[in-house]
Amino acid sequence: VTLAPRLRKFVFTAHVVSSVGWLGAITGFLALAVASLTSDETETVRGAYLAMDVMGWFVLVPLAFASLLTGLVQSLGTHWGLFRHYWVLFKLLINVVATVLLLMYTQTLDALADTARESDHLLRSASPTLHASAALVLLLVATTLAVYKPRGLTPYGQRKQREAAQTSR
Amino acid sequence: MSYKSPEETGTPRWVKVFGVIAALVVVLLIVLLVFGGGHGPQRHGSSPAAGVTMPQ
Repeated sequence: VTLAPRLRKFVFTAHVVSSVGWLGAITGFLALAVASLTSDETETVRGAYLAMDVMGWFVLVPLAFASLLTGLVQSLGTHWGLFRHYWVLFKLLINVVATVLLLMYTQTLDALADTARESDHLLRSASPTLHASAALVLLLVATTLAVYKPRGLTPYGQRKQREAAQTSR
Repeated sequence: MSYKSPEETGTPRWVKVFGVIAALVVVLLIVLLVFGGGHGPQRHGSSPAAGVTMPQ
């Protein structure tokens, strides 16, 4: 399936916006996580945990799915394919792993927000800072791969290229 | 003689480096999960006894 040029540009724009938006949102989330860990003010710490929970569900999760979905359409609808180039394959793996971990981590964010809402005493957890830092590294790697597009065909991509060369003769 | 494009010269070095790093990270995470006392919301729990209490 090859997307029409106009649709391809639209999907590409949506993919860039959602992916870079996800990266930016993680950076903002990391700032809140650091504040929750280092601030001496009760209300700041409590507010940071509540904000991280809202951000997780209503910013990070939608952006992650938008990035994954538009990336799938973009790769399957162009000559790049999904399994032909190593950089596309690595980006797909990073996106899937990051999305699954994020979905699992929303449970932790819910638990931390519940504690912040209901208890006079709060656990100062390094967990959001660690997870947000790891996510930031993963998304920076994915962005770098997308920009540089390092060469390298998978065995499947090499076979497809040979088949295409044979049929064009 | 069959023609091979520059991309068809085996697995690129950067892929091997990425693979090794990914494998090391996975092993490290497994070790942390197995010997680090578990993972998940219960680990980050809500018991005041488990962590630093808020400044009042």
